[in-house]
This record gives sequence, structure tokens and C-alpha cells, in this order.
Amino acid sequence: MSNTNSAESTPAPTRWQAYKHIMDNGLWKNNQALVALLGLCPLLAVTNNVVNGLSLGLATLAVLLISNGLISLIRNHVSSDIRIPVFVAIIATAVTMIDLLMNAYLHTLHGILGIFIPLIVTNCAILGRAEAYASKNTLDKALVDGFFMGLGFLFVLVLLGALREMIGNGTLFEHAHLLFGDIAQNWTIHFSDNYQGVLLAVLPPGAFIGLGLLIALKNVYDAKKTRNHNNALGIPIAITTPSTPNSNQTVSNSP
Amino acid sequence: MTKHTASHSKNTFKSHLLNHMFGSAYKLSLFIFVCIILLLTTYHFTAPKIAHEQREAMLKTFHQILPPPLYNNIPLEDTLIILDPTQLEQLGSEAPVTVYRARKDNQPAGLIFQVEARNGYSGHISLLMAVLPNGHISGVRVLTHRETPGLGDKIEAQKSDWILSFNGRTIQANNPNDPRWAVKKDGGEFDQFTGATITPRAVIAAVKKALLFVQQSGESLYE
Amino acid sequence: MSPLTPQSSPLSSPFAHNNQSVRQLMFKVQLAVIPALLVHIYLFGFGIVIQWVLAFATLLVVEFTMLKLRNRPVRPFITDMSAMITATVLVFCIPAGAPWWIIVSGTAFALIFGKHIYGGLGYNPFNPAMLGYAFLLLSFPVQMTQWTAPTEILDYAVSFTNSLHLIFTGNLPQAALGANLDMISAATPLSQLQIGLTQGQGVTESLTPIALEAQTHYQNGSVINGFFYSTAQFFSLNSWAWVNVAFLIGGLWLLAVRAIRWQYPVGFLSSLSLISFIFYTIDPNTYPPVDFMLLSGGTMLAAFFIITDPVTSSTTPKGRFIFACGIGILVYVIRTWGIFPDGITFAVLLMNIAVPLIDQYTQPRVYGHK
Repeated sequence: MSNTNSAESTPAPTRWQAYKHIMDNGLWKNNQALVALLGLCPLLAVTNNVVNGLSLGLATLAVLLISNGLISLIRNHVSSDIRIPVFVAIIATAVTMIDLLMNAYLHTLHGILGIFIPLIVTNCAILGRAEAYASKNTLDKALVDGFFMGLGFLFVLVLLGALREMIGNGTLFEHAHLLFGDIAQNWTIHFSDNYQGVLLAVLPPGAFIGLGLLIALKNVYDAKKTRNHNNALGIPIAITTPSTPNSNQTVSNSP
Repeated sequence: MTKHTASHSKNTFKSHLLNHMFGSAYKLSLFIFVCIILLLTTYHFTAPKIAHEQREAMLKTFHQILPPPLYNNIPLEDTLIILDPTQLEQLGSEAPVTVYRARKDNQPAGLIFQVEARNGYSGHISLLMAVLPNGHISGVRVLTHRETPGLGDKIEAQKSDWILSFNGRTIQANNPNDPRWAVKKDGGEFDQFTGATITPRAVIAAVKKALLFVQQSGESLYE
Repeated sequence: MSPLTPQSSPLSSPFAHNNQSVRQLMFKVQLAVIPALLVHIYLFGFGIVIQWVLAFATLLVVEFTMLKLRNRPVRPFITDMSAMITATVLVFCIPAGAPWWIIVSGTAFALIFGKHIYGGLGYNPFNPAMLGYAFLLLSFPVQMTQWTAPTEILDYAVSFTNSLHLIFTGNLPQAALGANLDMISAATPLSQLQIGLTQGQGVTESLTPIALEAQTHYQNGSVINGFFYSTAQFFSLNSWAWVNVAFLIGGLWLLAVRAIRWQYPVGFLSSLSLISFIFYTIDPNTYPPVDFMLLSGGTMLAAFFIITDPVTSSTTPKGRFIFACGIGILVYVIRTWGIFPDGITFAVLLMNIAVPLIDQYTQPRVYGHK
């Protein structure tokens, strides 16, 4: 927030400000899982432990980076009528490549995640970012967007995975060696020896309940934060830092 | 607007549209072609590694149920495919079953094959079992199942040691009613699970049937 | 504080909270449970009393905390006794000897996730007790299937202190019974039937142990003496069926004092009887008889105490009947072809989802309209 003050006089945001804006969007404001609610099928299906969530998150992040990058590169060469088939082809290629690579180098993990790696192709978040962002922005911005959108998604996958693994199984980082190799053999944390796991948490309904709780928590936090900036009618009043003249739409608080 | 100019503009529009269509089709095929090249390259480089990993994964499962010191051939390359319907019935399978044969210095050392337990609590239970030449079981593992989490899934080696209780067991010659092959509740020697009796019963019955099959077939399976 | 001011209260549920009438209704329902409670204690020991006390304590703590968190007044909402019926139903659904944390977590889940998260009583789409039971059944399948055997089979009554010991330590005192939990647990008739059928046995064969148990009632003559003894012999009922009969008596009283609407039990029991009659006629060896369906599992508990919950069922008279019929059919389908022995929970939850649709199509016509 401090460097926004220095940029007060410049009408166009600097490159770093743009990046920061993208980061805020990807990680929090427009989080693909918590706000846009995209890609819920893999999100709900694989997050029964941290390692599965992390692996699928990394795979999705990689696909987002590749697809955003490629689509931004070709954005000026594709006419609007064929853009969707081209995007789909690129995304499918990226997903299949990741699938083959994981099958080759993380074979056991690939077996566990199974169908959900190829299913990344149906993750609307990826086509969504391609269409809404990468096809309209320069390579650097598209890559940053892909990275942070993917990171935001990964962050939710890991959090939900941790939550469900702890409640359902009483452990954390089980099977970590499947992702990190043999050095991770004893990374697993057991909380209690005779913990009776709440099986519901690792079953599909647990995913829905867990995600619902995460979304609720985020909304509560956001509501608490914005309450300070709203007047009695719930209309946002001038927020903290002064912004550019264009976006300065202050609503006065007077009756 | 005269008729002449109208048809003229129609023509130019048509050729425009055609040009545009061909241009798009050309570009689209170009992109798809590039994608295919990318995929083929990735496939070319990963295929041998994937084949190797799959082989390793299978051998690793074999090692769990048949200790490696017992044999020195590669069972994956010494197979026998069972097609006879009555024999398949004993293995609980409808599709042909591949029997992997382990040998030590060309002498029989064990048979590894898949068995289906058909009357699990919810659907089939696929098992992989290894039988030594003397008719004793070397090991059994569950490959896939759909039993209730927390109740019937104790057949998995990861969840409980129950599946190890098959190790070293055998069956009285040609006695399908060997009383030891049942859960303790039914007078046998196997533990049952609290709250789930159907699952262990199904697994025990399937393994028993498969063991009888090996006993009846005898040496012929190694030929 | 409340979003429902008298002027804005909508014509269908959620209704404005009328504390007084809710309390009266809930009190009647509690009274109607008493026969079943007594039979349960007599047949299965004192476990249920301990479970009930645990559930009540949990209820107080959870309700107080949740109401405080939601900035709602505590007194009127906690004294309306609506949460009591949730806890009571749940207590009857779980095995009497289940460990203490089963009923505690089940009650807490039912109240928090079944009621408060949706905005409190009147807003919840699902029956809280059934949601709590589904949570327990899916989460702790081992504990939830460990039904204490009826005293008659055991030939040993689990005393109050032994029940306490069992619930809080998970085992009986060494002196009591070789301390083996397996010895005092037994399959319920419904799961007995299911196990038998998967093993390729017929209905009669599968239910032989249960029938034997019913006979011990008269041989011992201890359970029902005098006049009732001959009645028992006439009906030849097992312990689980006796609990169902007790619920039936309580439920009929509720109907008589008009605490519940007739559409629920009539729709539910008639559809369940009809469908089981049809299948029993087709193949009596695979499908159990009608009386068995009606008097096993939680049939009567559901008919009079679970599906009658006004909040989570349809608001129109025709809708109530359809709702109840749907549950009856689903119960049969789940019991017969599903993987769970009893289907009440999932049938009720599934029909709860269908309630808005039913309401939509069963709105009564305004008088005079065609």
C-alpha cells in the first residue's frame, strides 16, 4: 500500500502496480475457487489429503502458466471466430503433456490422482483465464496472471486438503514421498495415536462442507474489512489511499 | 441501388466470406498441427519411461506377495492365459485371466494371478494372489474394491494386517469345505471385522476357490 | 434483531417464531416418546438414558454458543424445546452402548450444520436429526453398527453402571462379560436380513435367529407377563418390533391430540406397506413380508416423530401426503437394494430436497378458480 502513495500523480499505473493488482485478484479478490467457484470438480474430488491437493494444484498451475503464455503469444494471430477452438486445443495439449510427464516421473501419484489429471482440461478456470485475460494482455502480464490465479487455486486445494486430512484421518502430509521422493518418507505428522477419524471429512460430502466453510470464512473476513469503509447505508465511502482522478468516485456521507 | 451493383456487392461479400473462412480454417489447422507435434514429441520422450514405470509398479506388487529371492525369472514375460470358462468361473472372472509364472532356475517357484470376489458388500473385489508350488499361499493383496470406508476397507494392506492372515495357508486336498476357511464367527480361523462380515467372507471364499483351482490344475499351470 | 418483523412475515415457511405454541407442541412430542423409552430401557438396558442426558447437555452448550454467536436472544430460542426433539430422535437412532462422543458429536453436528448454519429454526431445509444421524453413520460406521443385543439374547441385563462404563470407556468392566464388545452386540433384524440375502439365503432362513429371539420372550415369560404375555405370543414379536409398537402407541396419541397431521403417518405407512406387499407377493423368498417392514428399523419412529417435522416437510396438505409417500417408497428401495440396512435417514433427506418442488405443484387452488 505504501508505494501507491508515490504513484499518486501518475495517471497510468506502473507495471509493478499492475502486477500487484493481478496478484490481489488471483490470490484473494477473484480467487478462482473461493470467489469464481470454478474448477470445483477436481477441487472437491482430490482434496482428501494435502499431498493430493498440492499435486493437483501444481499440475493446474503448470497448465495455467503454459496456456496463458501460449495464448498471449498468439493473441494477435487468431481471429475471434476460431479463438475458442484454438484455446481448447492449446489447453488440451498442455494438460496432456502434464499428464504424460506426471505418468512418467510421478507414476504412483499419477495412479492415485487418476482421471483428475486429464480432467484439468475441463477446469473452467483455465479457459476462463485464457478468454478473459491472456487473449487481451501482453505475455508478461498473462504469465503473472496465470501464476497467481494458479497459486490462488493451489492455496485453496492445499487448505481444503489439510482440513479434510486432519479431521478425517488425524494426519498431515501423508504419502508425501509420492510427490517429493524418498526424503519425505517420514514427513507425515500424526496428531494422536487413538484419534477416531471423522470419515465424513474425507468422503465427498466433507469436501462440500469444507469448501462451504472456507467460502463463509472468507466472506466473513471481507465483510468485517469493508464494514469499516461503508456508511450506514452500506455504500462504500472514500477508501484509504487517494487514487487517480478517474476512479475517485466518493460518495458523501451527508444525509 | 441497381440490380447490377447489388449482385456485384453480393459477389464480393461472398468471396470475402470464403477468403475469411479458408483463412480461419488454415490457421486453425496450423495451430492444431503444432499442438499435435508438441504432443507427439512429449509422448516420444515419455513413452519408454512410462512403460518402464508401469513394469516396475507391477513387479513391486509381485514382490509384496512373492518374495524376490524365491525366483529368478521375469514373471511378466512368462505368462499363461486362461480361457476355459469353468476355470474362469473358479477365479470369479468373466474376462480371460493372465497367470504370471515365477521360476527359479527353470523350476516352478510360484503363480501370480488376479481373482475376483464377486459377492462383496458393494460390487466386486479384485485381488492379486500368489500361490507357491506346494499349494501354500504366498500372499494376497486387494487391487480394487468399493467396500464401505471404515468398515469393509480393512481388507486393504494399508489399513489393516488382516490380508496377511492368508500367508502360508493351504487347503486340505480336494476338500472345498475345509472348515478352517471361514471367519471365526462361522467356525473358521480368520478374524472378522467389527460391523462387517460380508466383506471378509467374500474375500475368503474367493481365495479358497482360486486355491482349489490351482490344486486341481496342478503342474499343468507351469507348462 | 430478527429479520422477521410481523409485517414482513411471509405466507409460507419460514414462519415467524411463535415460541409458546412451538413449546407446547414439542412438549407433547416428548411425552409421546415415553412408552418407547420405557420399552427401550426394559429391552436394551439403561444405555439410552445416559445417551439422552449426554445429548441434552450437548444441546444446551451448542444452542447457547450458537445463539450467542448469531446475536440472537438465548432464552426464548432455547426454551422452545425444538432442539429437544432433534436430540431425542437422535438418541433413539444410535446404539445404546455407543461411546459418549458419538452422541455428543452427532447432536452438535445436527444443531450446528442442520439448523444454525441455515439461520435457525424455520430456515433449515433438512431434518437436523437425520442430518446428524447421516453424519454419524458415514463418519463412524463401526460404532454405529454395534447394536447392543436385546437382554433376551444376551441372557444378561446390562446394568446402569455397566452402561456408564461401556459408554465412557468403550468396554465393559472386566468382571462383567469377558470385556468383549462383540459378545454383547448383535445385528439388527434389517442387517441380519441383508447379510443373509447376500449370502444367498432366503428371507425366512436369514431371519431365523430373530425369530428364535422372539420365541425366548415367551419361554422366559419374563418380558411380558399376564395378559400381555399371550398377546406377545400371538404377535410373536422380537425386541426391535416391540420398540416400534411403543412408538406406534405414542404416535397414535399424538394424532389423537392433533399434534401431528394425519397425512404423514398415513402416507408413509401405506406406501411402504403397499410396495412391500407387491414385492412380497412377487417373490416371498427374496422380499420380506409387510409386517416385518413395518416393525423393524426406525419405521414407526420415522412415521410419527421424524417425517412429521413441520419445518422441513411440505406446507400443503396434498404436498404432505406426497412427501410421506415418497419417503415410504424410498425407504423400501434403500432397504431392499441399497447398501445400508435401514433407509430412513437418506429417504428423509432426499425428500427434504424435493419439498420446494412438491410445494410448487401442490399449491391449493383459490376457492372458485378453475
